[in-house]
Amino acid sequence: MATKEKVREVIVHLLKVKPEEMKDGQSLEQALGVDSTEMVEVVIALQKAFGIQLAEKEVAKQQTLDEIARVIDSKKVS
Amino acid sequence: MVRIAITGFGIVAPPGIDKKPFWANVKAGRSSVRKIERYDTHLYPSHIGGMVHDLDAYSHVSSRLLQKIDPFSHMALIASEMALKDAGIDLAKENLNRVGIFMGNALGGWLYGETELRDLYIEGRSGVSPYMASAWFPAAPQGQVSIYYGIKGYSKTVVSDRASSLMAIGHATKILQKQKADLILAGGMEAPLSPYGLLCCNTNGELSTKNETPEEAYKPFDRRRDGFVVGEGSGIMILEGEGRAEKRAAHVLAFITGYGATCDGVDRIKPNPDGKECARAIRMALDQAGAKPQDIDYISLDGAGTQEGDIGEAAAIREVFGEAAKEVPASVPKTMFGNLLGASGAVDMIMTLLVMEHGLVPSTLNLEELDPRCAGLDYVTGKARPHNVKKALVISRGRGGINSALVMEKA
Repeated sequence: MATKEKVREVIVHLLKVKPEEMKDGQSLEQALGVDSTEMVEVVIALQKAFGIQLAEKEVAKQQTLDEIARVIDSKKVS
Repeated sequence: MVRIAITGFGIVAPPGIDKKPFWANVKAGRSSVRKIERYDTHLYPSHIGGMVHDLDAYSHVSSRLLQKIDPFSHMALIASEMALKDAGIDLAKENLNRVGIFMGNALGGWLYGETELRDLYIEGRSGVSPYMASAWFPAAPQGQVSIYYGIKGYSKTVVSDRASSLMAIGHATKILQKQKADLILAGGMEAPLSPYGLLCCNTNGELSTKNETPEEAYKPFDRRRDGFVVGEGSGIMILEGEGRAEKRAAHVLAFITGYGATCDGVDRIKPNPDGKECARAIRMALDQAGAKPQDIDYISLDGAGTQEGDIGEAAAIREVFGEAAKEVPASVPKTMFGNLLGASGAVDMIMTLLVMEHGLVPSTLNLEELDPRCAGLDYVTGKARPHNVKKALVISRGRGGINSALVMEKA
């Protein structure tokens, strides 16, 4: 599965929202009203799902799915 | 002094969610007390309680918000919504800087707390929900309701054991009289039946251990009594000044006309069996209401079901009412579903509103062999008794000698 779709799946499952609510081109904050506390959970869930470490602010609520996928893909370079 | 009107209420309790099923079961004298089977309770000396069923059927709370809150906040949100609807209030049209929330709670949200504690040990720090910080503490429901509706006015959460919500309501009344707010959602909520919550309740030594006969366990004022039973739920009412209620042509259910509170100051758990400070709280409430003892048509008793608690409460009423105590119907409807701790005062007041509306005093279950030391009162036992109630006294007491009393008058 493409990274972006997996990211969407993780967020939809965690926040219990419908997949269509997580619109492309909109940030997490714009699309879902994600708050800073929910972001803590999102980061932890992404770390677990992709087996990577994410530094503070590498993934933020102002980012879109594409931007988050790019950050994650950059970590998988080995 | 401005009279404070009760213009609506919402109830989430073991006999039922919303007033129709609640009153139907209470009227019929049906007990909702059962063995607690949500988890293995065999180690708990007392493992019976009043439980709420089908909460989800009445909930409009999103599953996303449910991840972040404890059941006690959930019940408070449901009861608040019902209360506002009952009062015909749309908060979007109110000045939210002048709307307040006054809640009573004894324990906090322990189901959320103990689940996260377990996750800490299993998964480490990252296994703990970031919402732990805001889900467990006693004022969390006040916060959640204020966020849900955008309420920004003078608010408070009162923690005083089983007297919490009566005291929160009494305090709310004073704030409205001082015009520090125009509209207040007042009441309480409690979800004490989780593993840790039930442990907290058990260790006070005041719970009945008659687990094999749950419906008969709670027998206040009976010489065979061995304590009370706990229950979960929430009761919330809408309070506003008489003038404001009249102006919007609100349906006023009753007025709160008097309130008093005192402390026994003798023991960290047990009340003083002489009941003198409890009597003083009752007199404070009656004096403020401009009522004489013989004007009271119904007493909603605290009915702790403990040795000293019942002896003291009966003594307090005899002291204030004298011979008139024999003529005033008194009962403990909470024998049917348990003491809801932080929510018990609010639920007792809501019960009293229904008593006034229907002219029927619910029974005290299981009171069959009156303790002679508690004699001198007109206890309603057996079937519910038809009685016209215009003025009522509600008594709510807490561990360590807390006493509160409130007078209500039918509109």
